[in-house]
Amino acid sequence: MDDLNLLSDFSLFLKEKKQEGIKIVAYLAHDNIPEELLDAAGFFPLRMIFGGNDDLMDASHDYLPPSTCAFAQSCIGLFSTKPKAFRFLELVDYFIVSNHCVSDVCVSEVISKYFNISRLNFYVPYTKNESSMKYFKLELLDLKNKLEEIIETEISDEKLLKSINKYNQFKKVLLEVNELEILGSEKLKIIQKAMLYGPEFLPDLENNIRNLKNNPPSISETSKDVLLTGCSIFINDNMVELIEEGGGNIVFFDTWIGNHYYSQTIDENILKSEKSPLDLLVLRFKNNIYGDHSVPNYLEHKVSIIEDYYHSYKKKNGKRLGVINHIIKFCDHISLMSSFLKDSLQEKGIQVLNLERDYSRANRGQLSTRIEAYLEMMK
Amino acid sequence: MSLVADELIQFSSVLRIAYNLLAGRNYLKRKKFREKEKLVAVTLPFSDLAFAADTIPVFPIRMQQFEISKYLTYLGSASSIFGWNTVSNFLGFIRNLGIKEVSKIVDDIIEDVIDVINKKYNQMYDIGIENGISSDFCYGLKSLVGMHISKGSNVDACLNVTIRCSAYNKYLESLKAINQGPKQIWVDIPPRNIGNAIELLTDNISNAIKDFEDLTGNTITDNQLRDHFKIGNQVKRSYKNIIYDISASDFYPCNPATFSEIMALLSITFQDYNSNATRYRDNIVSLEKEMRERIRKGIGMDVSKMPRIFVTPMFGGWEPKSHEIIYELGGRALYADWELLQLLEEIPTSNHSNPAEEYARFLMNATETGIGCDNDKLTDSYLRMARNLNVDGMVFFQLFGCHSISNCYTMLREKVRRELEIPTTAITFNKIGENVEQVKTRLGAFMEMFK
Repeated sequence: MDDLNLLSDFSLFLKEKKQEGIKIVAYLAHDNIPEELLDAAGFFPLRMIFGGNDDLMDASHDYLPPSTCAFAQSCIGLFSTKPKAFRFLELVDYFIVSNHCVSDVCVSEVISKYFNISRLNFYVPYTKNESSMKYFKLELLDLKNKLEEIIETEISDEKLLKSINKYNQFKKVLLEVNELEILGSEKLKIIQKAMLYGPEFLPDLENNIRNLKNNPPSISETSKDVLLTGCSIFINDNMVELIEEGGGNIVFFDTWIGNHYYSQTIDENILKSEKSPLDLLVLRFKNNIYGDHSVPNYLEHKVSIIEDYYHSYKKKNGKRLGVINHIIKFCDHISLMSSFLKDSLQEKGIQVLNLERDYSRANRGQLSTRIEAYLEMMK
Repeated sequence: MSLVADELIQFSSVLRIAYNLLAGRNYLKRKKFREKEKLVAVTLPFSDLAFAADTIPVFPIRMQQFEISKYLTYLGSASSIFGWNTVSNFLGFIRNLGIKEVSKIVDDIIEDVIDVINKKYNQMYDIGIENGISSDFCYGLKSLVGMHISKGSNVDACLNVTIRCSAYNKYLESLKAINQGPKQIWVDIPPRNIGNAIELLTDNISNAIKDFEDLTGNTITDNQLRDHFKIGNQVKRSYKNIIYDISASDFYPCNPATFSEIMALLSITFQDYNSNATRYRDNIVSLEKEMRERIRKGIGMDVSKMPRIFVTPMFGGWEPKSHEIIYELGGRALYADWELLQLLEEIPTSNHSNPAEEYARFLMNATETGIGCDNDKLTDSYLRMARNLNVDGMVFFQLFGCHSISNCYTMLREKVRRELEIPTTAITFNKIGENVEQVKTRLGAFMEMFK
């Protein structure tokens, strides 16, 4: 219900944006899209961070086989079935085709082609070395040129720098949500809303944080703390509730919607340096080592961040922390690395639950049982 | 299959390629332990740098012990004394005499070539799943993981070339978790040819060359690269000739099922040139000659009335019975995956060119216009290939769990109907031999359209 309210409010917000003449650029939830560039061009960046259901997945099968990532299927379903709560997607002017994973490419291409939304391209190299940084800059330049063609004016360095600063500040505040001692579902709602609205949510975000710091809500003492890694929990998805009903509480979101996003900040000293704004975006890409797109060191970085968080949590709280690796069915990146991640962490004494699922209602019972059994084991 | 066997033994070059594929384990052991050469695991046809570096590229399944190796070892020994052509002729002679026992052995050898490889692929698939890879991934990937789990520790390095398939790229990353020993050498191909992307790819190739130099302790010169590209170009030229001049023609040097088996064998072996580029070049050049010679003599089969059915993709896993089924239904199956993906393009080798840069152009061309950075480009490749082969129909293998190529079918079907106006069908595939009856039914219905 809360999610429907959020979507309804967001729909009004987006309509207002359109009325102001602002164009909407949508893209799959992707941690390397330069939203600052879109913002500087005067567009509203709309990240597709919406969960799915049976109907949405089924609707995508006219375009892609059912063995496509369930999230990607649902994204197509949203455009093809146009559910009432998601009518705001009709306001989308451009869709970015990117290669976070190959499903991102295929789905974005389908959405652009079959739902008549103009296409923009932004491709990301897989490795992180000197050449790939230079290539990333080429893509930034290419996108910048395309945006300038659309708006028929140049995106000045000053404007772009202003946007970079704005998003940087926004992420820094969002980072504080990490530290709040509140129920995971509450934390997730704040993060999701913030990532949906972007920096315009900053005043509300600051208020929220202040209120929650002053009046921290109580959390059941019997609940078991959990770190969530792998795939994100999207808006309108009940996964966090399932975990909480099973007796768990997510204290750290090591996912796109969570730490991957707001950990991508740029140091103030670097921001003030002489670096060109595009170079700052390249630097951000370089520092984004936790994103699952890159090879060949994703697994090492992932193990390292989880291990560090686990030990600091254990030191601070004196108890074990659970790790749930959330795998959306047919997700290339998370699924393929899941057994390696689990083995690596378990070798270090960290128990991991690889929780694979799609958005079908039918598997709810099975998921609950698995979560409960895992949390039971943590006693 | 006996008809197939009869036909196959007429091509001694096919026997050689098959022998080198299945008896690879002994060859590789000799190279590694006796000659102290470095083995480098390769997948897809990206073995060029490994050859230029004087290492031994190996498609990992070749490190396996194959069931029929006893016969092949015998055949290999006999051939080393008498020469391959003599052995091949001798086998044909014995078969014609109808000596049962020997004849059975001959049949076994030939029949087993494709069957044994496929059985081994299935075994690798099972090993992959038993060791934790999700069954949701495509056949090719699961088998590759199985190959590395099973024998990957024997290689000194893995040559990892990124492509548009994210699952494949993650599989490449997982190799160092499967076996910590081998050095991982990466070539990241930029997704699009924009700005100075070629220059950046050239840098990536140069870095990979440095990694090879570290591996072997030897310097790799431009001439070494050119020399290998020249051999590779000859291989590609013959392969292309076989695809365009022979498979698209109206007279085959053998029956179409045999011809498809040969094409399937080429598709598998092209990935590592059986670990010896010169030998492979000699074999494929002689295969082309043998085929042309038979056609010239009128030995073979008039296939002008048999519809050309382009069966694709098959490199990531396909049902190998399909060409036989198509043949029984009156058609002929054409395989040309590597050409479709632009991996049979030649690499310029003139002395004033920079070979690393030329290789970069080759890889970028395959990325941009072959496999494509999106499905629009990829589907154009299918159309181009179908036009070039003048095909009458297309059978698309939709691999369960393939999120890269199989996903393009809806778009492909639309384009084929609109631009080519030929029938097309999709066949879902999970594992070799799993759904042969269903494949028969689908192909039966499909082939009805040509009657």
